[in-house]
Amino acid sequence: MEKPILVVASKQDGDAIAAIRAGFSEKLGRPLDFEIVEDEKITGGFIAIVDGTVYDNSYSSRLHDFGRRISASDDGETPRGSSFATVGAVLKHRVSSVESGSTTYKYGEVVSFADDIIQISGLSGCHYGELLDFGGGAIGLTLDLRLDGVGAALLDGSVSTSSVVHPTGRVAEICVGNELLGRVVDPLGRPLDGRDIRAIKYRPVEAPAPSITQRAPVNAPLETGILTVDSMIPIGRGQRELIIGDRQTGKTSIAVSTIINQVNKGVYCVYCAIGQKASTVSGIVRTLERAGAMENTVVVTAFSSSAAAMQYIAPYAACAVAEEFMYAGRDVVVVYDDLSKHAVAYRSMSLLLRRPSGREAYPGDVFYLHSRLLERAAHLSNDLGGGSITALPIVETMAGDISAYIPTNVISITDGQIYLESELFNSGQRPAVNVGLSVSRVGRSAQHKAMRAVSGSMRLNVAQYRDMAVFAQFGADIDSSTAAMLRSGERLMELLKQPSDTTFSLAEQTAILLAFSAGAFDGFERGDIDDARNGLLRYLSENADKLMRNINATGALSENDRSDLLRHFEQFSPAKGGGDDGGTE
Amino acid sequence: MEDNGASAGVLIRISGPVLDVRFDAVDKEPQVNDLLITAGGRHMEVAANISPGVVRCVALEATDGMSCGEIVTCAGHGIRVPVGKSVLGRVVDVLGRPIDGGGPIEAEEIWDIHRAAPPFRDLAPATEFFETGIKVIDLLTPYTKGGKIGLFGGAGVGKTTLIMELIYNIATMHGGFSVFAGVGERSREGSELIRDMRASGAIDKTALAFGQMNEPPGSRMRVGLTGLTMAEYFRDVMNRDVLLFIDNIFRYVQAGNEVSALLGRMPSAVGYQPTLSNELGSLEERIVSTKNGSITSVQAIYVPADDLTDPAPATIFSHLDATTVLSRQVAEVGVYPAVSPLESYSRILDPTVVGKAHYETAQGVTSCLNRYRELRDIIAILGMEELSESDRKTVYRARKIQQFLSQPFSVAETFTGIPGRFVKLGDTIRSFAAILGGEVDDLPETAFFMAGDIDEVREKAKGLA
Repeated sequence: MEKPILVVASKQDGDAIAAIRAGFSEKLGRPLDFEIVEDEKITGGFIAIVDGTVYDNSYSSRLHDFGRRISASDDGETPRGSSFATVGAVLKHRVSSVESGSTTYKYGEVVSFADDIIQISGLSGCHYGELLDFGGGAIGLTLDLRLDGVGAALLDGSVSTSSVVHPTGRVAEICVGNELLGRVVDPLGRPLDGRDIRAIKYRPVEAPAPSITQRAPVNAPLETGILTVDSMIPIGRGQRELIIGDRQTGKTSIAVSTIINQVNKGVYCVYCAIGQKASTVSGIVRTLERAGAMENTVVVTAFSSSAAAMQYIAPYAACAVAEEFMYAGRDVVVVYDDLSKHAVAYRSMSLLLRRPSGREAYPGDVFYLHSRLLERAAHLSNDLGGGSITALPIVETMAGDISAYIPTNVISITDGQIYLESELFNSGQRPAVNVGLSVSRVGRSAQHKAMRAVSGSMRLNVAQYRDMAVFAQFGADIDSSTAAMLRSGERLMELLKQPSDTTFSLAEQTAILLAFSAGAFDGFERGDIDDARNGLLRYLSENADKLMRNINATGALSENDRSDLLRHFEQFSPAKGGGDDGGTE
Repeated sequence: MEDNGASAGVLIRISGPVLDVRFDAVDKEPQVNDLLITAGGRHMEVAANISPGVVRCVALEATDGMSCGEIVTCAGHGIRVPVGKSVLGRVVDVLGRPIDGGGPIEAEEIWDIHRAAPPFRDLAPATEFFETGIKVIDLLTPYTKGGKIGLFGGAGVGKTTLIMELIYNIATMHGGFSVFAGVGERSREGSELIRDMRASGAIDKTALAFGQMNEPPGSRMRVGLTGLTMAEYFRDVMNRDVLLFIDNIFRYVQAGNEVSALLGRMPSAVGYQPTLSNELGSLEERIVSTKNGSITSVQAIYVPADDLTDPAPATIFSHLDATTVLSRQVAEVGVYPAVSPLESYSRILDPTVVGKAHYETAQGVTSCLNRYRELRDIIAILGMEELSESDRKTVYRARKIQQFLSQPFSVAETFTGIPGRFVKLGDTIRSFAAILGGEVDDLPETAFFMAGDIDEVREKAKGLA
């Protein structure tokens, strides 16, 4: 049996050491001969290590523990408000509820360490999902518990077989709250932007999703400012909408536009980068800063150089940050960029843990990996404050193969998908949304009345147009109603082109679509549609500003507004040259 | 604890959702399928005896924060759930506990969810036609009363919408009891279904069991049995005709797959559990109609990676009387329900069961579409001009049929903006026969899209002309 160790702040206090020795001898019923180790870092008190059990009675640990307990605010009795008097009361309440005393835990030793997977002997009392401290800043996460040992994955730092392992008594967690807005942090809540974070609240990264009865139907729109999306694939607050496509098709730019469009709308955003290179993330942060969107945005990132386990917990951590806002009654958008890299990180972890693999070498529970993450996005019922998390996961496909394993898995979890196609992207149709394969299963009921009135069954029509256009290429006989549909479809596709740095307000989108269905664009050649649309919007902002603002404010298009708009279109429309047959529906 | 007959063990290993428990009193060792409860109140089910005194279990709740050394007691029986009239109108989880906030369930009886399939001599094979009001289904894959129906489809092609429409069309009209088992699907859909059923009043005749995709595999693996057990009680004890909806049976297989490797089994084809067909058989063989009563089941089956040859859907195929396959190619052109007419199939599509007119119309539609599929490559290379007159006619009729197979759904009204249509079987047959017979060759193709019967198409065509 190893010799017991006693760690003290200073060796000079012989009496105290003798008292500790006597106390332990009595407690364990045998004489103990401690090896005394001096360590100033513990400030005062002692740490005794006897037969693999650590009795931690050091001031440093107790202070740390105390600090954490008074910052935890999971007790319902805490009075709300922020005046000094109530803060005092809160502190008093919390201080009184913290029982002081030493903590006892088992310590362990590293048996083996390879490819960020660590086998540890000892640590018998440790919990599933607990963080382990290897000293020197190295942190690990328990994944396999046995009576005599533990298997863990390294999150950060480096480990050797001589490392002594301490359980931290807490599961993986991240700091949360308003302090994080405008910040860039790693999945354990450590700042990456060179400034300190004074967070006072933590949340475990893994949390149960709201249950069936805690949810309310999705009924408020989340405006992306992108005409194609808002009209045909509308997203509601609390929805999960997948953005999927090959690389270089504008997936991230849809997500970033959406975040930027939330400025001044009271919606908080969390952007989670998983396995991205640092320069990409820094570019996105700069874009958000320039647009003034960083003030309501938190960026959580695990770079491609981070350990697989760090990338694995990144989206859960981002979701925990969002949950804090949601349970406080706010609406939040979370972007996971991207879940294919997340699945790859989990696959490498899982293979290193020697778990058998299935399709495409992914482990069997890769579905649960994403389902338990995305199910945490919800619109809460009013009893719970009515907040929401809208999740926009991103998945990258290979060569447009939407039916590969991970894409179909995530599609089967989300409430719809926006499918981007490189062919469309290259032909200049941007955003390169394939409307036929894109769908939103809940957003329709959450659309603004004005938008619903003008977009109708537009998605089905565009999908039909695409199909018909292909068929018509083969020289099929085309009846007159089909020809009219093809002509109007062409113009609509032109109208849907939108540069990635512009967003349209609700009123602008409504006006464009109403003008289209009223035939205001029929007189234009295909190539001039873009200018015509911009001209129309300029004309409306000069001549009908009040009307437009009214639509934005009410979200509805009244009968009067509608006829006013139609009158404006007539005045705006140029003299129709020649082709006066534009009677599209 | 030891006094009330239950034995106590100690948790000795945790690996994700799989746990090992050691029982020192070997004679009191739990049996496979027994329910164990930890000191912290979490449940698990015994999956195997791995050595004397040691059992391997699957957790029914999340294992985060659990630690080795925790005391575990055996309930001495498997998962038991309330059955009978008192579960109607209620929503339960895998353990039969209410999750609708409506207070405890006062059940007249509690049944173990692991039961034997009815004996062979009691079975009553199904041959009676069952109207759904959905054109493509009634015509091409007619469903049977007391039969097993599968809706196959990849991600996002409309399985859940179709099952909701079926619930809307048949469960609301059907006078008997219904059971809905939500297995590994979206919680949002669960909460919407409950809300819709409460609004329509259908919930009073329905029992619901949910283990959705946010729950650990153990729960998703057993909640199908929870729902089935409730349906069995209605059939066997109350002698009723029951409708059983399972959305989604693939998730049951998937959950088994998630824990299989951790249970120590070698993986089989595509990484599935070696016990795949046994696991499915033990569930599917219980969903049958007997002399006492019938269970008509509608099961949604997710097709992973759009691959119908995947071992899970391939194994489920053989258990079904009618299969409706939804396809992404059809959904892509905006035709909903996105049924692939050439891959779907029904055992009762036979002139002796459905009648000659129905059979011949269905055959005509299938062969017309099949011919179009063959011609499509020729058209792509040579163009329409190169086709013979009769082939060209076939192509135009096939395209009209394709459009006409779409149908507005009541449950999808918010998406399409078009109110749903319930089309009677007679109208369906008459309408398709009209297209095949060339009566409507003059109408434009767009008129056939999202219409009810042929009379509505004629009306729409007038508006377009």
